[in-house]
Formats: sequence, C-alpha cells, structure tokens
Amino acid sequence: MTDSADPREELIEHLPAMRAFAMSLTRNSAAADDLVQDTIVKAWGKFDHFQTGTNLRAWLFTILRNTYYSLYRKRRREVEDPDGEMAGAMSEKPAHDGHLVMSDFREAFAQLTDEQREVLILVGAEGFSYEDAAEMCGCAVGTIKSRTNRARKRLAELMHLDEDDSLDMTDAATLAVVQGNPAA
Amino acid sequence: MNQQIDDNLRRVYDDAAREPVPERFTKLLEQLRQQEQKPCAPDSDTSPEDDDQ
Repeated sequence: MTDSADPREELIEHLPAMRAFAMSLTRNSAAADDLVQDTIVKAWGKFDHFQTGTNLRAWLFTILRNTYYSLYRKRRREVEDPDGEMAGAMSEKPAHDGHLVMSDFREAFAQLTDEQREVLILVGAEGFSYEDAAEMCGCAVGTIKSRTNRARKRLAELMHLDEDDSLDMTDAATLAVVQGNPAA
Repeated sequence: MNQQIDDNLRRVYDDAAREPVPERFTKLLEQLRQQEQKPCAPDSDTSPEDDDQ
C-alpha cells in the first residue's frame, strides 16, 4: 500500500456532486438518490480497479452515468429523441415579454436529451475537459464537442434566446434547473 | 452566450452540490466499511433489526 489516502475514504467528498449530477440526469430527487446509492455500492465493489492518482470524481461519475443508462433510463421508457426535435416541437412558446422567466431555463434544460443534459453538466458545470468527458461517456472527443455545441444551441433555442439577450436568473431559478423541481 | 449558459449551469449545479449529504448515505458507507472488516458477515441475514453495539 502507498501512503496516499484510501479512495474509499474520499468517496464521501464527492457525494454532493454525485447527487447533483444524478439529479440532472433523472430529474427526480427520489430516483436520483436511488441512483447515487446504486453507484456507491457498485463503486465500493470495484475500488480495486480504481487507479490511485487518477480522477476519483470522473471514475465515480462514469459508474453513475453507466448505471443510469443501463438501469434507470429503461425504467422510464420515454420516447427517444436524440436531437431534441420533438421536445422542441412539443414545447409551447413561453410568453415573451423581453424578460427571461425563471422557469424558461429549467424547462429548456429538462427538454434536452439525457445525453445533452449529461454533457452540459460534465463540460459546462463540472468543467471536465472534452477528452475526460469522452472517456467517461465512452465516445469520441469529436462526439462530445459536437454534442456540447448542439446542447448549448438547443438550450438557447428553447429559451428563444438571441445573441444579445442576457441570461439573468435568480438563484432559485437556476437551482430549480438542476434539481428538476416543478416551478413552485 | 455559451459563457452565460455555462455560468448559469455552474451556479445551479454548485447550489445543488452544496446540499448536505443525507444520513442515508453516511449510514450506507458505514455499513460497507463494516462488511469489509467482517468478510464472513452473513449477508443472507434478513432480520430487519441490527444489534446495537
């Protein structure tokens, strides 16, 4: 054994981020915590495979998102809409008074595909590199780049944002996005 | 605009990630640690009651 800390002891430091990531994938707090629980148990059984010195959060996030796609998404059985076209067509245009309503961002984010929400959290919010995100998602770097661009573009479209509109939201509004709470 | 989207995503995400970890998870980690220390622990034990030590 080396002197470095046991990654098992560091797991708890990543739990808040894991919950936030799980919430943005499942959009449901009960499902999110179930997903985090499954992830912890899986990770615990696989710690022998974790390479000390590599990014523990990335490793945990990878297990979490793989668990989500293999178990949780199937349970929901929603219509697949990889490009978000249908979601866009189905969404009503919000009353546009020149101000961004706080629910716009939340609704727009929720309409993105799983893959789009995932990549925005990984690259946009967590700040993982395209390379790291590609490894975590098991796809090519180019795929992550184009998916990120499409997701941002889609989000702007859904919010009917023009280039010079500003994205000014309250904390409550932004919090609701990741938590997936219905507008209070 | 991408910067704005990311800024807001980060704010949301950081807020969510500041939530305290529920007891459910600290207990789970404790259980996992204990299982590791007692590899022969009966995992088929379905009794809902734990012994208080």
